[in-house]
Order: sequence, then structure tokens, then C-alpha cells
Amino acid sequence: MTLAPDEDLMLQVRDGAGETLGVLFDRYQTPLFNFYSKLTGDRTLSEDLVQEVFLRILKYRQSYRPGTPFRAWVYQIARNARIDHFRKFPPQTALQPEMLPPVLPTDSAQEQQEVELLQRALQQLPEDKREILLLCRFQELKYEEIAALLGCELNTVRTRIHRALQDLRKAFHQLARGTMLKKAEAAVAENIPPRGGRHEV
Amino acid sequence: MKCEHIAELLPDYLQGNLSPDQHQNVEAHLEQCADCSEEVVIWTKLSLLPVDQPGPTSRARFEAMLLAYQAGRLNQPADDSHWRKGASAWNWNMFHWLRSAVGAVAWSAALLAIGVFAGLRLAGPKPPSLDLAAMQSELASMKQLVVLSMLQQQSASARLEGITWSTRDQQLDPQVLSALLHTLRYDASVDVRLAALDALSRRGRQPQVHKAILDSLQQQSPLVQVALIDLLLEWRDPDAAQRLQALQQAPNLNPTVRQRVEWAKSKLN
Repeated sequence: MTLAPDEDLMLQVRDGAGETLGVLFDRYQTPLFNFYSKLTGDRTLSEDLVQEVFLRILKYRQSYRPGTPFRAWVYQIARNARIDHFRKFPPQTALQPEMLPPVLPTDSAQEQQEVELLQRALQQLPEDKREILLLCRFQELKYEEIAALLGCELNTVRTRIHRALQDLRKAFHQLARGTMLKKAEAAVAENIPPRGGRHEV
Repeated sequence: MKCEHIAELLPDYLQGNLSPDQHQNVEAHLEQCADCSEEVVIWTKLSLLPVDQPGPTSRARFEAMLLAYQAGRLNQPADDSHWRKGASAWNWNMFHWLRSAVGAVAWSAALLAIGVFAGLRLAGPKPPSLDLAAMQSELASMKQLVVLSMLQQQSASARLEGITWSTRDQQLDPQVLSALLHTLRYDASVDVRLAALDALSRRGRQPQVHKAILDSLQQQSPLVQVALIDLLLEWRDPDAAQRLQALQQAPNLNPTVRQRVEWAKSKLN
């Protein structure tokens, strides 16, 4: 049995089958939640925004046209919902590392550390760069769809992705260097005998 | 090939959109250029970032929203054709929401009346304890649904009504609790925020509620902040001094709130 395409389901929702929206909710709630949580670092807000997206889908379902890729349409709504929210409630706190989702234990300690550094590096990027990376890497949007979403040329999307990736690489290396330095300092400190140690002998 | 030429091709390389020739050119460059090849590595590593899962109540909230929405629509015969046939664009305004709020209440009240009537008529002389328990639990979930749908209305008065409803039950459902906490932090109307605080403060004895309420000190509305500071004193919160200190350091703190913080700190001492 093949799964019905998102677009067919959305047309059913548009034509009155509201309950079909549940299937789309199951398909999209996690990607949308991750889009928001990685952008804002706020779990509660991300959950609220996901609900808002589906409420807007119901509200604006008549504007959905056959042939429109659903994924691109829904991310357009998702971006607008976030923009509207922050227009009403400007963010007060910057993203803190402790707001990031916990990194699950992986096979190697080094990999785990790299993931943590990468998460922090991603949070250091300006929001537009973080957003474009999230859209193309995690939300699987095509560059053409991102161009339509951001209202820019296809080549601009390519350039922006490349710049975002450059910045991410730099931020990642800076953090990695900092961590290595700290480790080296800790190793040196461990080898130094405590003060007064000689008197105790 | 230089880095700037690769910059044009790299995004398509990462998505596998290049022709075989271009692909080969990029690979040849990557072998020589550490920076560009590191970018590819970083791109690959991004897939290692953990996928965060939404909370367990997310699906239930969606269903409540959908149900409330559909109930609201079905209570409006004139608009029913729009929903069914999709014939014309639908106008979204506060009156629809208002009607759907009242509709939801009427709908649940009618069900309640039918339930009680049926229970009395059909139960017979024996005490229908099992049926009654089932009916009570159904009624409780119906009430939650009504509260949740009302808290999401566009009209402030409908949301206020939803908060009043939430205070009628002794036990606060976790979903309703989370909706109330969200209202306390983000609702557009100060009156609604204050009402939410009032409803929540009655549950302040539950430790997680207690903490969640006080965590909303950092927020937009000075009036709510002042009320929260008073609550902090009233509850003799062990972290009161620390919380007040943190609030005092918040940028752009309203002068009235700042005064209240100072007053509260003097009371603590």
C-alpha cells in the first residue's frame, strides 16, 4: 500500500474532510517542531507554533491550489506564524546553550562532543543563516522552493547556503579550539602538585 | 578550479544536483582544498543533530483544536456549505470564533443534559455506579475540551470564560494546565493573563505548578509581574530572593515593577 501524497490529502482537507488533516499533522508535526525548536530554542513556544500552523491550514485551506507542493506551502505558513508571533512578542532572551535539546548518547564520546559543538555553533549563527540551513538540510526543501519561500533568486539561495556553511565551519572550529584549550589546561593542572603538598610529606 | 568557482557549485554538489563532469571537478578541488572539504564534512555532520520530539500532549491539543473548529463550523448552517463544498473563500473574523465558543459550551451542555436524563431514565432502581463513573469521566474530558477550545478563541472575553470554566474542576488536567500557563505568559490581553494567574495560583500547592507560575516572572506585562511578585511573597517562596534579583537585572524593566521588586526585597529582609 502506498501512502497518499500530501497534496492529495490537503485537497481533501480543502474540500471538507477536516479529519484528514490528522494524517498531515502526524507527518509534519515533528519536522515543524524541530524547525522551530532549532530556530528559537524554546520548546513550549515551538509546540504552540506547530498548533498555530495547523489552525492556519484550516483557516486558509481555500487558498491551497492544486499542484502547489504541500511542503513548501506549509513552511510558508510556518515562517509567517513565527514572524507574526515575534512581531507581537519580541524575543527577550537570546538562545542559551542549556535551552538546546539534550544530545543522546552515541557510540563514541568524540561524536557526542562534536554534535554538541555543532549545535552550539549553529546557535551562534545569525537567524537568517540558521534558518536557511535548517530549511535545506532538515526540512528537505528544494532550493527552488526555498527561493520562492524567501522571495529571492535561486542563485541567491545557493550563495546564502554557502555563506551560512562557511560561517558554521568557522564557528565550529572556534568552539572546538576553545574546548581543546580547556582540556589541555585541565590536563596541565592535573599534573601540577597541589600547593603545600611538599610540606605534607 | 578556485574556491569561488566551487562556491557556486558546492550547494548543488551537496544535494547531488550536479552533472557528472561538474561533480568530478568539485571532487578534484575538495581533495586539494581543506576549507571547502571541511564545509562538506560539516554539512554531513549536521545530519547527526538529534531530532527533538514534541511533547506527548501535542496530538491531543491538535485534536481538541480540530474538534472545536469542526463543532464551531457545524453550528453555523449558513457556512456549512462552505466547509462541505469549498465553494468560496471563508471569512475569518472574531464573530465566528465567538459563536464557536458559545457553540462549544452549548454543545457540551446539551450532551450533559442528555446524559443526565438518559442516566436517570434508564438506570432503573439499582445504583448505576459503573455507568455513573464512566459518565463522570466523559463529562470531565468534555469539560477539558471546552476549556481548551475556549482558551484558543480570538475574543478575549471567550478566553476569560474559558479560564472561569477551568477553575470549576478540583483536578486540573495537565493539558489545561499547560494551556493556562501559556495564556499566563503570552496572552495578548492583560486581563486574560491576570485571570489565568488567579486560576493558576489556586493550584500553587502543587510543586510543579508553583514553579511554572513563578518561572513566568520574566514577561511582557508589568501588571502581571507585580501580581507575581506579590504571590512570591505570599507563598514565602524559598527562591524568592534569587528570583527577585534575576528580575531586577532584566533589561528594560518597567519602573513600577522595579519599585515593587525593591519593596518585596525589603519585606523579605
